[in-house]
Amino acid sequence: MEHFSQYLNSYVMKKASFILILMDSEGIILDANEFANSITGRALKGERFKNVLIDFPDTFKLEDYLHDEGKGFLLNIDTGGLPETYYFQFKTDGDKVIVIGEQDRMEIADLRKNMMNLNHELGNLSRELQKKNAELNKLNILKNRFLGMAAHDLRSPLAIIETYSDFLIDELPQGIEEEHKEFLDIIKTTSSFMRGLIENLLDVSMIEAGKLELDLVDSDSSQLIEKNVHLNRTIAKRKNIDITFSSAESIPRVSLDENKILQVMNNLISNAVKFSPSDTTVSVTVTADSENLTVSVADEGPGVPEAEREKMFSPFGRTSVRSTGGEKCTGLGLSIVRNIINAHGGEINITDGESKGSVFTFNIPFES
Amino acid sequence: MIQNDLYEKFLSSLLAGDRGICVSITQDLIAKGVPVRDIYVDLFQKALYKVGELWEHNRISVSVEHMATAIVEGLFALVYPAIFGAEHSGKKAVVSSSANEFHQVGGKMVADIFELNGWDGYYLGANIPGDELLKFIDEKKPDALGLSLSIYFHMKALTDTIESVRNSFSNLDIIVGGQAFRWGGIEIVSKFPGVTYIESLASLENQIRKK
Repeated sequence: MEHFSQYLNSYVMKKASFILILMDSEGIILDANEFANSITGRALKGERFKNVLIDFPDTFKLEDYLHDEGKGFLLNIDTGGLPETYYFQFKTDGDKVIVIGEQDRMEIADLRKNMMNLNHELGNLSRELQKKNAELNKLNILKNRFLGMAAHDLRSPLAIIETYSDFLIDELPQGIEEEHKEFLDIIKTTSSFMRGLIENLLDVSMIEAGKLELDLVDSDSSQLIEKNVHLNRTIAKRKNIDITFSSAESIPRVSLDENKILQVMNNLISNAVKFSPSDTTVSVTVTADSENLTVSVADEGPGVPEAEREKMFSPFGRTSVRSTGGEKCTGLGLSIVRNIINAHGGEINITDGESKGSVFTFNIPFES
Repeated sequence: MIQNDLYEKFLSSLLAGDRGICVSITQDLIAKGVPVRDIYVDLFQKALYKVGELWEHNRISVSVEHMATAIVEGLFALVYPAIFGAEHSGKKAVVSSSANEFHQVGGKMVADIFELNGWDGYYLGANIPGDELLKFIDEKKPDALGLSLSIYFHMKALTDTIESVRNSFSNLDIIVGGQAFRWGGIEIVSKFPGVTYIESLASLENQIRKK
């Protein structure tokens, strides 16, 4: 017995990938090798052998199994998870019984075949997925090309409608009916909105086609943003909204595409104005550390629910928040903003304001 | 053309189950601009034919053969962007292994060669039941059907498939090929109208260009 236990714990048996158990004639396990303990997930010593198995007859009589010594039996092992089938052989050694269990060869063959089929299936699905992906990419390129052409061809006539309706409003003759004046205002506002939408669509199609190119210049970013704030004040005044500007004292010059950053600021400030109630303030702040220029635009509007924030940056990803003066949104502005900021190597995020509203903050990294 | 020492390194890594080296060899070839068909024919196909031969001569076990096949199937994914990115002509081919046939690497290569030549190559998989195949043909309306056979003993299943396809789609071009034809059977499939035996990926390309 001692000799057998030593054998069980020998290097060879530790590495063995079959079950080796020594039990007494009552079926009590006297010792088991590491493999047996490992696949059952417990130390088997002292357990009844029949408890190691599943669907083992309650009327276990060892002599039934010893009767056909050398012949094998397929028995299911309780592994704590899926049962595994082993081919067991029983041999007597004096008053002890040695149990040897090898995994069912048929089962191994089946497993191997199933694995192979799964691998085939995975390979086929991967092929199908990549083929679909390539088809979608081609369709996306076509869509962008179509969008770009359509938007480009629509922009010029719309600009003409907008300009001429402007002329008509500026030179209205005396005594024109109020209703007709309103019609002209609607033509002007709607064509202006459509032109904005088309320009955004052109931007999106350019971005999606990977054609967002930056014209980087060494810029006094603080001054650039302050000028933009000043221009946006006129629009904000219509809703009696004030825009404040504050900047840290020494903002370094930063390499950026000025027109694109102005587009970002126009989008962020006009959004802030759209969603702010009258008699509130939109605050624009510029700061910098040794690595990043940071710009934030804070409003005192209703804020954006956290669950909807990420959606805002997707094309047409509108939220439940409504503008306060009935202004329209294309749903493209923030997507363009994020792409422009990302192209500069920066990021944009939205947080809650100190007491209310939202704060949009973006950074542009630079080398000191 | 792929250098022989590189092929030998690929083959020995494949047999040793060293997927990493196989991936890196394939990636290097793609990066160097080696044509996809060269990678398919001079590396993947050549190595798998050798693996099959070693298995037939009992020099490697079936599990090593399966492992090598699985590795190569995984490598296909590396070349897919080049294959599927090609300009397409609008022509379509459906490729399938016949019923009972579990080998699929050859069939998949055939579908990819169609893709490389501007066709849409749909690969259905191994052991495709006849009615599933007919349904797919009806849905995709392909210009050609490719049937691959690896095991000669499945010839009957292949001819049954050809017959049922011919009954439903009398004008559909059918091409057949695969390792099974090393042992004969070309004359059996050639009896069917509109069925062409293709002996290699190169002759497949010639056929595609004629269509």
